[in-house]
Amino acid sequence: MKKILLVMKNEITTIISRPSFWLALLGLPLAGALIFAVVGAINKSTSAIETVSQVFSGPPEIRPEGYVDLSGIIRQIPESVPPETFIAYPDERSARQALTSGKIAAFFIVPKDYIQKGKITYIRPDFNPLASSGDQSNLLTWVVQVNLAGGNILFANLVNGPLEVDETSLTAVAPPDDDNPLALWTPYIITLIFYMLIIGSASLLLSNISKEKENRVIEMLLTSVTPRQLLTGKILGLGIVGLCQTVFWFGTSIILLNLSGRTFNLSSAIHLPASFLVWGLVFFLLGYAVYASLMAGLGALAPNLREASQATFVIMLPLMVPLFLSSSVFMQAPNGTIAIVLSLFPLSAPVAMMARLSAGGVPWWQPLLAAVLLAVTAVLIVRAVAGMFRAQALLSGQGFKMKIYVRALAGRL
Amino acid sequence: MTKIWYVAWQEYRRHVFTRRFVLAGLLSVPFLILVLVGLVLLIISMDINTTPLGYVDYSSLLSNPLPAPTPEPPDRPVPVLPFETEASARSALDAGQIQAYYVLPSDYLSTGRLSVVHLGTLKSPARDQFYSFLTANLLRNTDPVVANRLVKGAELIIQSPDGSRSISSQNWFTVMLPMFAGIAFIVAMFSTGGYLMQAVVEEKENRTMEVIITSVSPNQFMAGKIIGDTSIGLTQIFLWMLFIVIPILVFRDSISFLHGIQIAHQTLLLLIFVMFPAFVMVSALMAAIGATVSEAREGQQMMGIISLPIWIPYMLTGLLMSNPNSPMALSLSLFPLTAPLTMFMRDGMTILPAWQIALSSIIQVLSAVGAIWLAGRAFRLGMLRYGQRLKWREVFARQGAKR
Repeated sequence: MKKILLVMKNEITTIISRPSFWLALLGLPLAGALIFAVVGAINKSTSAIETVSQVFSGPPEIRPEGYVDLSGIIRQIPESVPPETFIAYPDERSARQALTSGKIAAFFIVPKDYIQKGKITYIRPDFNPLASSGDQSNLLTWVVQVNLAGGNILFANLVNGPLEVDETSLTAVAPPDDDNPLALWTPYIITLIFYMLIIGSASLLLSNISKEKENRVIEMLLTSVTPRQLLTGKILGLGIVGLCQTVFWFGTSIILLNLSGRTFNLSSAIHLPASFLVWGLVFFLLGYAVYASLMAGLGALAPNLREASQATFVIMLPLMVPLFLSSSVFMQAPNGTIAIVLSLFPLSAPVAMMARLSAGGVPWWQPLLAAVLLAVTAVLIVRAVAGMFRAQALLSGQGFKMKIYVRALAGRL
Repeated sequence: MTKIWYVAWQEYRRHVFTRRFVLAGLLSVPFLILVLVGLVLLIISMDINTTPLGYVDYSSLLSNPLPAPTPEPPDRPVPVLPFETEASARSALDAGQIQAYYVLPSDYLSTGRLSVVHLGTLKSPARDQFYSFLTANLLRNTDPVVANRLVKGAELIIQSPDGSRSISSQNWFTVMLPMFAGIAFIVAMFSTGGYLMQAVVEEKENRTMEVIITSVSPNQFMAGKIIGDTSIGLTQIFLWMLFIVIPILVFRDSISFLHGIQIAHQTLLLLIFVMFPAFVMVSALMAAIGATVSEAREGQQMMGIISLPIWIPYMLTGLLMSNPNSPMALSLSLFPLTAPLTMFMRDGMTILPAWQIALSSIIQVLSAVGAIWLAGRAFRLGMLRYGQRLKWREVFARQGAKR
């Protein structure tokens, strides 16, 4: 026990004596605060917004655009279209002349067989299919539609479906609020944060072990501690550091959000219950235990850091699946079958369950069940990896193979 | 000169003819594409729900309805059932016979307002089918040719004034193609640049370097490594292209979004004059890093510093694509590290002025030459240094060259 504590203490002191640790710990909230401050300051003054947006999008340009209607469809331009938006030209040549002389920014040609073929040519000098500023193509196609519908604007719009829909949902959970992008993206952000936290602290262990293996420190260590003591001490030490880091980051981000809440009006957008923090702690610790031991096993078997980091992808895959699916599954249907399966499956639960909890509407027993399943898995994996952490494996320099890893996990090496 | 080729060939052979290169370098991309396509199909099929939809009509629009048009596959038709009253529709919804019901008020045709009642969420395939059912009935008295045009809308074909490039608004794939090409190049650039850095560090670590240097001059060694590394990258890209181009040629006629793909001459110009020097530049920078650090791990951290600016345009995709001629886009396309990706993204979106391509490629070539010089210099100073990292100050110091 004393030796475990010794290993743990040593790990903690080595990490916190490193300048890069403090840089990451303090740098992240500082960068966040800086961004918030800059954005807040820009939001306050309109002239600053204009300058910034001109750098990003170029000077605004609103010039009329021309059209050549060979089909005779466009008889009138609806009154809602501002005057001087479109200028009619009898043929392509005169439109081209106007384009060269800079009178118009671009022009459309509605061909004779428009009704049959439906093609409109849009001649633009900068050839930009996505231009948002000064792009009047949507307006022109709408004008053509209205004229096709005999000038009846309501009729032309109804062709694309109703104008206004009152939705009533009979289930208790409110659908995600489409108006507030931040609330919609909360599950995604939470998924990403948890993924990075778990992977970040787990890979710390991987690099730590494979480095000590590489520079032969481990040979010396093994003369005085057992492999199992070494593993337990390392997991505990790095876990404590990771936890403190997480708590610190969460704390500062909450303070930051509260401070900036006045500028962005966030408090009404995101409301995470207090139980969320408790579950966050539980799932972080358990997820860390599982992935850190998997990584430690990897570090124990791989001869050097490079080979180890190539194999990490395979191990992190279950944790990545929720990340891939987050935009479709957790944002759209956080309580659908796939989401439930992912949040109960131990290897993806730490990330998936947190995403669901942040979306809301999870029955109370599901996080409990997921936590129990995850805890059982954690115990099994820690034991399996401890078995893997033997002098023979730690000292050998043979290349890393997935087959050997799986066999070692099953205790058959 | 023969020694350069010897080093290059050795480097090429060592990395290309391995199982890892075949697995990670070549098969990963087609595999990733397959996984992505599978995911998209899964997501689409998750949205399909063929439980009927109900409606209550007070507006007389649907009093004697035409059937809804059949949706395009993979969508499957959703039956639409009329109900007399909202109460009966509600009981059918509670019984699970329908997934939702729409209520058309009597003034629907003058206000365009209606309401819908569902249990959780109504997926868009079912909603779109009900809307096309409404449209079909709205247009029942219109001339079928006009009605068809009203429903389908216009297809905008964007054309440059000289007619050299044109693209349909429905054909988003051609617009994205240069960007995909740029990303593929950069991924290849980094994976092969990583090989080069590792090779240099490794040879330093296991003291092979001391032996090699007895028979090859540092400059020959460096040149050979860079040539070998660039060819590894080009091999990788060539093989990826095969994986991508062959399916496109085969399925060109059967998959709608692949129709009418065209690659502008500009893209090829960019490939040769901007991407290739960028490739050499990054390789040389990686070699320089390999020569200055003493451990592979340290090198990886340094690699991050170079890769960050290269990926900046990717993070700004939306902005760059919608405003390809903004001051920011221009400055990003002149800065050596951000230029390759920025130029490719802009290329799909706009017609790049010739002077910008020329200026960007000149800057790119100059920085490639500079990076090679830097790599040679760093290599000569750092090749036999162990345990201690070469400081950048030393590389740039004038004295260093004489030593």
